Amino acid sequence: MKQVEDSEILEKFANTKTRNEAFNLLLNKYQQKIYWHIRRMVIDHDDADDLVQDVFVKVWKNLDSFRSDAQLYTWIYRIATNECITFLNKKKQRNNTPLDEVSEELSETLVASSYFNGDKIQLKLQQALLTLPEKQRLIFNMKYFDELKYEEISEITGTSVGALKASFHIAVKKIETFMLNEDITF
Amino acid sequence: MKQDFENDEWMKGIRETGFTTPAHYFDELSESINARISAEKFKAVIQNDGHTVPDNYFEKLQANILAKTTAETEQIVKPKVVRLWSSSLLKYATAACFLLVTGLGLYFNQQNPAQQTASADLATEQMLYDIDEQAIIDHISSADITQPKSTAVDIDLENYILTNYSQSELATSL
Repeated sequence: MKQVEDSEILEKFANTKTRNEAFNLLLNKYQQKIYWHIRRMVIDHDDADDLVQDVFVKVWKNLDSFRSDAQLYTWIYRIATNECITFLNKKKQRNNTPLDEVSEELSETLVASSYFNGDKIQLKLQQALLTLPEKQRLIFNMKYFDELKYEEISEITGTSVGALKASFHIAVKKIETFMLNEDITF
Repeated sequence: MKQDFENDEWMKGIRETGFTTPAHYFDELSESINARISAEKFKAVIQNDGHTVPDNYFEKLQANILAKTTAETEQIVKPKVVRLWSSSLLKYATAACFLLVTGLGLYFNQQNPAQQTASADLATEQMLYDIDEQAIIDHISSADITQPKSTAVDIDLENYILTNYSQSELATSL
């Protein structure tokens, strides 16, 4: 199926008669990408489900004020990223736990989840990712799984391309070390 | 020998083109290349993250989001605002009606003194009820209530009327 252009979505959204149609097109185009982006950060399906709905409700409410000098999908990614970080921070504050314990909790969620059917190596990669600081994990996910360009990640996170490259390389090295400690080699 | 010298000169020219690199660039370059190679190796083995979703999840997700956005907006249809003073004609007509009704009310109120008298009588009567009965009896018995005597002018006038007008004429004029 042909992907509808963002400009067409925005044009239709600006017209009250075609606004609902435009939002449907937007959901068809982005809901899965945004869901997976959130899911990789919060791990639990139910949490991801709540957050993805919140993100698109925000998109619906604020799309009027979206300035077309930015890319639509980077704008939506930015909203989703902020929602994830807010969610994880609240989780830390609620449980009054340090980052490593939150990572442990997320790792346990991953193992117990009925919606994870990865093999041993996939599970180890996810566990390795959960040992990383949130921002490194975020950057790794966007580069590795979403295959976004550094320039796009820079627009989403507001971080320079140089800093993003450094973060990604550090993340890869940490994962490699984690895997070696688990006797997994590539 | 001469050619080596020319090459050195040429290389020197290349070196002095003005290009620079960020600080410690070449120290970090090898690490960056190694990390990228490692990421490529991961990618060859691990293409996806292993997460799954319930059956038909994305269809339901879309319906849920639409229920919270587009459907909600459709339900909250703004009530149509009908302007009370939509035209100046209506404004003037209402003002005219108000003046007419007020004017008529005042006119008929002035043309009906009997009503005013009746209400005055009622007030007097009410006042009498409030006065002690014995006080009224005492007042009447002590006061001079005899009819004032007729004056000469009144008697003459009465005679004149009885002489010049018949009883039927008097009845119609009264």
